[in-house]
Amino acid sequence: MSTKEQERRIELLQGTLDLLILRTLLLGPTHGHAIAKAIEFRSDDVLQVEQGSLYPALHRLIRRGWISSEEGTSENNRRAKFYRLTAKGRKQLALETSKWDKLAGAIAQILRPSEQEGKP
Amino acid sequence: MKRRQRMLEELDQDLRAHIEIETRDNIERGMTPDEAHYEALRKFGNVRRVQEETREVWSRVWLEQLWQDVHYAARMLRKSPGFTAVAVLTLALGIGANTAIFSVVYAVLLRPLPYADPGQLVIIFQAKPQEQVPFTGINYVNFAECRTQSHAFAEMAANQAHQLTLTGVGEPSVLTTMVVTPEIFSLLEAQPLLGRTFLPEDGKRGATPVVILSENLWRSQFGSDPNLVGRSISLDKRLFTVVGIMPAGFHSLLLTAHEDIWIPIAQDPLFGPWMSRFSGHWLRVIGRLKPGVSLAQAQAEMDAMSAALAKEDPADNAGWQIRVAPLQENIVGESRPALLVLLAAVGLVLLIACVNIANLLLSRASSRAREIALRIALGAGRKRIVRQLLTESAVLGLLGGIAGIVLAYWGVHVLGSLLPADLPRAQTIRVDGWVLGFALLLSIVASFIFGLTPSFFAADSSLQRGLKSAGRSGESGGQRRARGFLAVAEIALAMVLLVAAGLLMRSFTMLTSVNPGFNAEHVVKADISLPQFQYSTPQQWSAFSDTLLERIHEEPGLQDSAMAAPLPLDEGNVNLGFEIVGNPPLPPNTAVTADFTSVSPDYFRVMEIPLLRGRLFNEQDSPSAPRVALISETFARRFFPNQDVLGKQLKFGFPPDGDVAREIVGVVGDVRDISLSEAPGPMMYVPFAQAPFWGGQLVVRSSLSSASAAVSIRKVTHDIDKDLPVTDIATLPETLDASVAQPRFRTLLIGLFGLIALLLAAVGIFGVISYSVSRRTHEIGIRVALGATPASVLRLILGESAKLVLLGLAVGIPVALGLARFLSSLLFEVHPADPLTFFGVAVLLTAVALIACYVPARRAMRVDPMVALRYE
Repeated sequence: MSTKEQERRIELLQGTLDLLILRTLLLGPTHGHAIAKAIEFRSDDVLQVEQGSLYPALHRLIRRGWISSEEGTSENNRRAKFYRLTAKGRKQLALETSKWDKLAGAIAQILRPSEQEGKP
Repeated sequence: MKRRQRMLEELDQDLRAHIEIETRDNIERGMTPDEAHYEALRKFGNVRRVQEETREVWSRVWLEQLWQDVHYAARMLRKSPGFTAVAVLTLALGIGANTAIFSVVYAVLLRPLPYADPGQLVIIFQAKPQEQVPFTGINYVNFAECRTQSHAFAEMAANQAHQLTLTGVGEPSVLTTMVVTPEIFSLLEAQPLLGRTFLPEDGKRGATPVVILSENLWRSQFGSDPNLVGRSISLDKRLFTVVGIMPAGFHSLLLTAHEDIWIPIAQDPLFGPWMSRFSGHWLRVIGRLKPGVSLAQAQAEMDAMSAALAKEDPADNAGWQIRVAPLQENIVGESRPALLVLLAAVGLVLLIACVNIANLLLSRASSRAREIALRIALGAGRKRIVRQLLTESAVLGLLGGIAGIVLAYWGVHVLGSLLPADLPRAQTIRVDGWVLGFALLLSIVASFIFGLTPSFFAADSSLQRGLKSAGRSGESGGQRRARGFLAVAEIALAMVLLVAAGLLMRSFTMLTSVNPGFNAEHVVKADISLPQFQYSTPQQWSAFSDTLLERIHEEPGLQDSAMAAPLPLDEGNVNLGFEIVGNPPLPPNTAVTADFTSVSPDYFRVMEIPLLRGRLFNEQDSPSAPRVALISETFARRFFPNQDVLGKQLKFGFPPDGDVAREIVGVVGDVRDISLSEAPGPMMYVPFAQAPFWGGQLVVRSSLSSASAAVSIRKVTHDIDKDLPVTDIATLPETLDASVAQPRFRTLLIGLFGLIALLLAAVGIFGVISYSVSRRTHEIGIRVALGATPASVLRLILGESAKLVLLGLAVGIPVALGLARFLSSLLFEVHPADPLTFFGVAVLLTAVALIACYVPARRAMRVDPMVALRYE
């Protein structure tokens, strides 16, 4: 991996990772590896998840009751743990998303005021 | 809890599945299986850390880690028993001393008074600002007026202490008697053990005499007789009916170590008649504020009261203010500064101990750099390492705390025997829950103080350096600086403590070498008090004293004896107003006073107080002869400047002799009668025959031992009256000694703390210098190889140590200068910035520091260049 590529990647803040996991699980229950891949893929590889760090986050979400886990079988027929969004988690995701949008909008406004004004 | 276990058990499987899927993906992308597996692991990150962090999500992990850390810490400490012993011992000393001193501070200053709602209790006293009288009692007339008129107080009561003689039960004994108004028991919400407390009727004049006994007296003198209540006992030869027994813990005044009996004021032979007097300030009045009434409201009411009293009776009350203050504050008032200084000093000792241990830990941390680097390499986070090291410190701190508590139990015991007898509330000093809590808190705080710096450096040591070096030179520049800084801090702190100790010692030497104005050597004193119902007239008092002195003079070895009331530096002084006959009357509220003593003719010879002018008293100065007086040198200088005093007349005395003119027949030397530290004030003497008391102190200058003198004095007294108690037989040097008990106590303790500080600082310097020598062995080897002489090596090492000391002094001297002024109220004729003390302490510290680096310096001088160079 080149240094340039490393620079392009952004380390995730805790909390943000939680949000991304919830968002990924909105598409349906899946296992840990798939979640990691989905986050990398959907962000065009910009967001770097050290895959291991997913697990403490998953357990944290389980503890809060936002996701649940069940036994399942992966694509290549291995037993794996599948994570599923709970109703509570769905509500939380909506809440967090709107919060995130507001925050992102606010930061963007501070960082790029001219662009915002330049728009018709 | 079950879910937690299941989740964690399944975690490993989950992680393995994850890595397998990633590996397979990688193989599909064309890697070899080995490459694929390695790449999967790399991408996954540190498996152990993930496991640990996930466990942390499930809470109890924190406790588990703590347990692991404690376990590990215990193992590390066991592995280096020498270090552990030194550290625990140092800490135990610091924590033990702090805990012991805190137990005193807590008992005297902080523990609430042992009464219900102690916050409501106040003392009510009088002050006269124009005449610099800050605190006196209140007379009964004014007290009764305040009590009936006030609305701020739920109750108000008065008391005073005094002595009565119990006869008819074994040897006659003197009882500490509290003369009280009946309401004092209900005010303090005290319940009797047996019988009842006083009723309002008991306080009226003409009521049947009643007495309440303390449990201690009841047990020791009356064999715990349950039928004693209702029976009579003889006090000063008068019968009092016992109405109740108070439990042992009850005190009504809290100033005396014990109280034997309580009687109503009206029944007291001494104070009873004073109840109708409009003048005087003799009662200690306490009050309980009504719930919701503030101190300020009570004070406002008393301000109005003072004004009303002054209007009613200006002669006695003009200028006097009635004041209200919290009772606890009043009881402990004077001992507060000294105790706080002690607490601060002992706190400094602990701080030095902590710095010392920090230094030890720092050298250990650098020798452990390899171990720590390895742990970091194996995936331990920095926070984790710091936590681990802090746990080690905490374990060390708790061990020190436990050892310290053991030391404190012993220390409190020892302190008990050292405590000055006049320290209020000293009888309640013990190691209790609060004190233990304090010790625990101290050990935790101490662990942080000495643990934080070393763990900071340890966790910061970089990976490669730690692994590469064998630990020996694995010390960063920052660490070296920290170590030097700690040694400098230690010297500076020791400087502060030693200066305090030095100042107090100089002050104490000054105090004990001050000339009291009389010669105490070979003088024995005995208190003799006459039962006042039996000996009720001045003629009887005077006759008794004549007979006593006559018989004493017949005893071999006791020829030089005299009576005095009161004796200087003993139980208190008597201060009386006087008037100079022939001078224009003074404007009101500007009365002049002098200390008063009534003495038999030989007093001045026995005490060796010099006669400066005129004559002393003699046998002709009898009650029927013209009244005479002697005055002290200060009296003459202050009130008769440049005049011939002989033949002048003064008016003073106790009623009914208050207005009698007495001719000054001589001037004698000054005497320090209040305390050794107070400059002698004006004094006036009268012949005992012309102003007798119901007893007094017998003083005897004798070559006999004090024990055999005591036997003779007792025998002679009991020959005259077998029921007379003779108490407090002591030598005058002992009495002088007792008068400086408080300064001696604090000087001794702070001196001890200074010594400990000096030792700890020496150990600290020794540690730093020997470590530095062992680190520089290689460099010294090169120097020697290049021709350095042992002397220049010595200079090198001494120079390093001298630098530390000089820096320490440079910091310590200004700090000590700044802090010494807090001592000024405790110093006698020594300035807080006393140059001699500062210089002496600086020299002492430097000398000790140089001695401390002697051993490492010798080692440096003996470095063999061949060995040193081969070593690395």
